[in-house]
Amino acid sequence: MTTNGALSKFRILDLTRVWAGPLGTRALGDLGADVIKISDPRIPLDSSARVNNKLNRNKRNIGLRLDTEEGRNIFLDLVSLSDAVIENFRPRVMRNLDLTYETLQSVNPTILMCSMPGFGIKGPYSEYPAFGSTAEAVAGIVSMIGYDSDRPLQTGLSYADPISGLNVVWSVVSYARRRARKGIGCHIEMPLSESPLGVVGEYVTASSQGVSMPQINGNKSQYFCPHGAYQAFGKDKWIALSVTSDDEWVSLKSVILEKELQNAEYDDFTMRKSSEKRIDAIIADWTQSRNPDDIVELLQKVGVPAGKVANNLELLTNQHLQKRDYFVELEEEKWGLQKYDGQSIDGNQKPKNMWHSMRKVGEDNYLILRELLGFTHSQYELLSSNGIVGTE
Amino acid sequence: MAGPYCGKLLAALGAEVIKVESPPFGDPSRLTGPFLPNGDHPEKSALFLHNNTGKKSVLLDWSTNQGFKSLKRLIADADVLIEDWDLSTRRTKGVDANTFVSFNSQLIEVSITPFGLSGPYSKWKSSPIVQMAMGAIMNIIGIPDREPLMIPGYQPDYLAGTNACNSVAIALWERDHSGQGNFLEITMLETLANLHQAPLDMEGGIRHRNGHRQSALSTRGFAPGVCTLEANDGYVTFGGGSQGIWEQLCLMMGRTDLYEGKDFTDLTEDKELSDKVDWLLVKWMEGKSRADIHREASSDWQLPVAPVLTISETIEDIQFIYQGSFQELDHPVAGRSVYPSPPSSINEKRLPLSRAPLLGEHNSEYL
Repeated sequence: MTTNGALSKFRILDLTRVWAGPLGTRALGDLGADVIKISDPRIPLDSSARVNNKLNRNKRNIGLRLDTEEGRNIFLDLVSLSDAVIENFRPRVMRNLDLTYETLQSVNPTILMCSMPGFGIKGPYSEYPAFGSTAEAVAGIVSMIGYDSDRPLQTGLSYADPISGLNVVWSVVSYARRRARKGIGCHIEMPLSESPLGVVGEYVTASSQGVSMPQINGNKSQYFCPHGAYQAFGKDKWIALSVTSDDEWVSLKSVILEKELQNAEYDDFTMRKSSEKRIDAIIADWTQSRNPDDIVELLQKVGVPAGKVANNLELLTNQHLQKRDYFVELEEEKWGLQKYDGQSIDGNQKPKNMWHSMRKVGEDNYLILRELLGFTHSQYELLSSNGIVGTE
Repeated sequence: MAGPYCGKLLAALGAEVIKVESPPFGDPSRLTGPFLPNGDHPEKSALFLHNNTGKKSVLLDWSTNQGFKSLKRLIADADVLIEDWDLSTRRTKGVDANTFVSFNSQLIEVSITPFGLSGPYSKWKSSPIVQMAMGAIMNIIGIPDREPLMIPGYQPDYLAGTNACNSVAIALWERDHSGQGNFLEITMLETLANLHQAPLDMEGGIRHRNGHRQSALSTRGFAPGVCTLEANDGYVTFGGGSQGIWEQLCLMMGRTDLYEGKDFTDLTEDKELSDKVDWLLVKWMEGKSRADIHREASSDWQLPVAPVLTISETIEDIQFIYQGSFQELDHPVAGRSVYPSPPSSINEKRLPLSRAPLLGEHNSEYL
């Protein structure tokens, strides 16, 4: 085993911005890849909400003007020394920079290129801008969320982004294996708007044979009852529970001793489902005076799936994740020691003591130009003074 | 669903994926909906059909000695073992992290569970809504005064399944170089905790649900014009959250006065302005179809705006059709249906799907 992580001999040029791409390249970096993020030296990354900081750990950074001839040549020099290039621009950007797959191939015939356009490199919407929030709408996700069949609601997660970010990893690494064995590269295309289709695939397949979609109906399930979020004691405190079998129902009513629930008719799913509103009201009446953690503890003890509706701060201090050593603390020059989510992809990750926080734009310019590309000190100085490379 | 989705992705990449199903009914998802018309048949669950494309099926009772021997024979020849056994199943079946590695040192075993095999919640029961609750996802979906909402279906399973595929791909890459297998543990909760765009501490603030508007990624509330609104023939989502997009949106509505002399970040808690912008956008959409709005806002104004499509509308969408985002497959019992293509194309070619197997269809080939 290599000590610097499973992907330690793999170099990626990261042209991605915002979210989906950086999440994917962060995962590759956490697993040891040498990720070189290419940033426009005129646009700083570090800002108070620290969104970029979160998504750009374990990457080196070069501030490089791709829109200059010298900058573009430096980029192509880097391509010749790299395994993969990942980008999520609108298709015309790479075309206008003359950095298409064909161009990259001309300097590195086996390069892997992964493009993450909004809708597609070609096609009727190819030049339309897309965000994770609009992509989830086109992919059918938003149409499924809401209360009582009134207006649909968006996820707030920009759901297409994280799905796309996860898909980058297996796509790139699988084709890297093929490249290593057969010596052939390829161009991988992963449109943002397409990424959520797989996670609603059962509805796609059913709809294609004319099965109508379940009506928007809050948290109600066609297959489980009771199933939903119930208000607990405290401001905006909720628990979620689902009874996924008749046995779990028996367990639930052993905790919520309300007389009406003991009715043997309810031991059958169909009967419960037909009295769902009544059952929900009884459960809500029981939960509203109790502490959410206590409710979850009681229900889990008898084997009923239940959990607290956590907010972001509660997730960050989740005792189970703490015990599993999930979180990571990184020292940041501007913000001090900051705690972040760890890496859920198990394997030979880069050792935690080697993880580093986001590098500022251009922080690795010197090292990359001098050591990787062999520029002389005076060449480096000239590029800096011309603004071809620069720092935040 | 997590394990099956992982296997489905690997099958699409060309792997020979053998699904080991237990009698009498096989994979529980065969008995779970949505079903195709005249369904409630183990070969007609859309959930099963989608998650098991490209696989072989063997029906094998590995709770018997004979069956366990057969399972071990299959694993001895395998590169990867995907399993979702919880702690009690592992105990009952007498399997641990060494059971299979002991006779196949190159084996990559990936365990997928809701909470993992260790830690305070390792024995907890789970379901998709429980995961979305604990993963701080429900808390941001819905209207502030009403209950938090989940995303329907099996989202935590799909995401953990994708991550399991990530883990396997990386372990295979490493094994190509080292010859060593690995035991990998993917959990749904850890996967979900990776899906938040902003750092979880949010500068000490809490991200709340915000109805039809998207909550901001900082504690500053929400931005005007970042929302889902009703048009003539359905709904439309407006993306945004930056000065540039805000100015462009105002330009489109013919109301540059709204941004002149004001910094966008100061507007994010101005509820009155947000209400006004909603009204202006609804007015701008008057008499236009969702398709017109999509084209006009995207192409004339360069704004991230898109129609809210229903699932059946996605199947008809011209860009998805152009991209080959769906594939039609025939199945001897379930008939012809449409399936989403795996999410990447290679040199402009889709990874081809093939249908899910019948229960035990490949017993004679493998047992």
